[in-house]
Amino acid sequence: MTARVGIVGIGQIKFGNLSEYDLVDIMAYTATDALIDAGILENRRIIDQIFVANMLGGMINHQTGIASALVSRLDLEPTAAELVENGPASGASAVKLGYMAIASGIANVVMVVGGETMRKVTGWEATDCVATLGHPEAEYDMGLTFPALGGMFARLYMERYGVTERDLALVAVKDHENGSKNKYAHIDGTCTIEAIHDSPNAHVVNNYVAEPLRLFSVCPVSDGAAVLILVNMDSPIVEKFKKKPIRIAGIGSATDTHCMHNRKDPVEMGAVKLSAERAYAMAGVKPEDISFAELHDPFVILELAISEEVGLFPRGKAVEALRRGETGIDGRLPINTSGGLKAKGHPVGATGVSQVVELVRQLRGKAEKGRQVKDPRYGMSVNFGGLANNVITIICAKD
Amino acid sequence: MIDFSIYDKQEPKIYGYKCPKCGTAYYPATMLCAKCSNRRDPSGIVHPDWDKFSLEGPCKLLTWTRVWALPEGYDRPYLLFGIVEFPNGLRAAGQLETENPVTGMDLVAHVKESSERPGPPVNVFVFSDD
Repeated sequence: MTARVGIVGIGQIKFGNLSEYDLVDIMAYTATDALIDAGILENRRIIDQIFVANMLGGMINHQTGIASALVSRLDLEPTAAELVENGPASGASAVKLGYMAIASGIANVVMVVGGETMRKVTGWEATDCVATLGHPEAEYDMGLTFPALGGMFARLYMERYGVTERDLALVAVKDHENGSKNKYAHIDGTCTIEAIHDSPNAHVVNNYVAEPLRLFSVCPVSDGAAVLILVNMDSPIVEKFKKKPIRIAGIGSATDTHCMHNRKDPVEMGAVKLSAERAYAMAGVKPEDISFAELHDPFVILELAISEEVGLFPRGKAVEALRRGETGIDGRLPINTSGGLKAKGHPVGATGVSQVVELVRQLRGKAEKGRQVKDPRYGMSVNFGGLANNVITIICAKD
Repeated sequence: MIDFSIYDKQEPKIYGYKCPKCGTAYYPATMLCAKCSNRRDPSGIVHPDWDKFSLEGPCKLLTWTRVWALPEGYDRPYLLFGIVEFPNGLRAAGQLETENPVTGMDLVAHVKESSERPGPPVNVFVFSDD
C-alpha cells in the first residue's frame, strides 16, 4: 500500500503584473509563505525534494536551471530539485510528481513551486511564446494562436449545444464576482452582464478577440507563483507540521492528439474525460461527490465543456446549470471559486499549483468571506496544456 | 543530361503522408502508423520514406474564427482561420479567405508561401471559395 499524501502548507502571491520582479525571487517569496503556513520556516531542510513548474523561463526570462536557482535563493541546499515543463499543465504535473515521490518512498516531504512571469514581454510576445505549444508546421506556421484555437472550439461547441455569447458573458460575471473576493486574483474588480453584453454599447468594452470569444471570454496574461508543501501522512514526520493535512485523494492524467483538428470530434476532450475517470477511480469517488471544482478556463467556454467531460453535468447541459446559477458560489456545485483563470489569472507554470492552493483554502474553510463554499468535502482541479492535449485532474479531500 | 528544373522556383506545397504498408493517410506526418505500427524514416536511408501527396483541393469548413489580436508581423486588422476536412477524411487548420464563412460550407484549399511572421518564409494553407 502506498503512502497517503497530504498538503500541509500553501502559498500564493497575488497574480498580476509583477514584471519588475525577478522570476526566482517571486517563487522564493511565495515559497516562504508556504514554509510559514506549514510552520517549518526554520526547519525547512526537512524538505527532501523540490519540483518547480515553469513553462516559459527559457524563452521569456532567458533563464534555465530555475530549480537550482530557487534552492539557493531559499538557502535550501542540498535539497534535491528538478524543473517540470509540461506547457500550461506544468503546475499540476509538478504536483503529480510530488505525489509520486512520496508514494514511492523516495521522499517524505516535497515542496511544489509553480511560477511564471509573462508580463516581462508584450502581450503578443507572450501569446507567441504560448503558441509554440502548437504543432510547428500544422498550427504555429499557419499563424494560429491559442485564442484562435479557442475561438474555433467555441464556435463549434456553441453551435452544437445552443450556447450564446450572453452565456459566455454569464461565466465571466460569475468568475469575476469570485475573483473580486479572492485576495490573490489578478483582476479584483467585478463586471455586470449589462456592461459586457446586454447594453447596446457593451461591444465597446467587450470587443472580439477571436470570434466568438470576446475580451471578457479570455483570461489575462499574468505573472505569479503558487506553492504547496506535501507530506507523507503515514510518516511520523507529519507531526512536525502545524496544519492538519488536506489529503490528495486522486490524481489522473492523460493525453490527446497534438493537433486539435486530428480529434475525431474537435469539441470532445478525451484526455479531460480520461484523466477525471482515473482520478475518480483512485479517490474512490464519483462526480456527485465533488463539492466544488477549479477548471482550466483560459477561455470561458472551456469551463462549460470541461465540467461536462468530467461528468459534473451531462453533455451540452452545463449551460443550463450556469443559467440557473448552480455553478455560482452559493449554487449546488460552485465552479472556479477562485475566479478561475479568467479572473484569478493564468501565469502558465503557476496555474495548476494555484488551483490546488484554492482546493486547500476551501477545504480548510479559509477562503475569504463571500466565496467560501459551505462544508466542502471533495474539491477537484483540472489543469491542462495545449487545447486539452495534456491533462491532469486532482481530487483533494478533507478527512 | 542534367535536370536543371530542380533549380526552378518550386510551387509551395504542404504534404500528407501515406503508410506504404496499409495505406492510412496522415497530416501532419507521424513517425508510426496508428493502424499497423509501420515506421517512417524521413531520411529514407534505413527504411523507405512514406509516400507523400500534395494536400489541396476541395474541402469542407468544420469551424472558423476571426482573430483580432494577431501575432507579430501581421499587418492587418484581423485574420480568419478555419479547420477543414478533405474528401479523404484528413483535416487541416489554416487561414480562411472568404467573405462570409459558414460552418459546413464548401471551400478549396490552396498553399501559399507566407513571410508575414518573423523568420524564414513558411508554407500556409489558404481555404477560399475557389
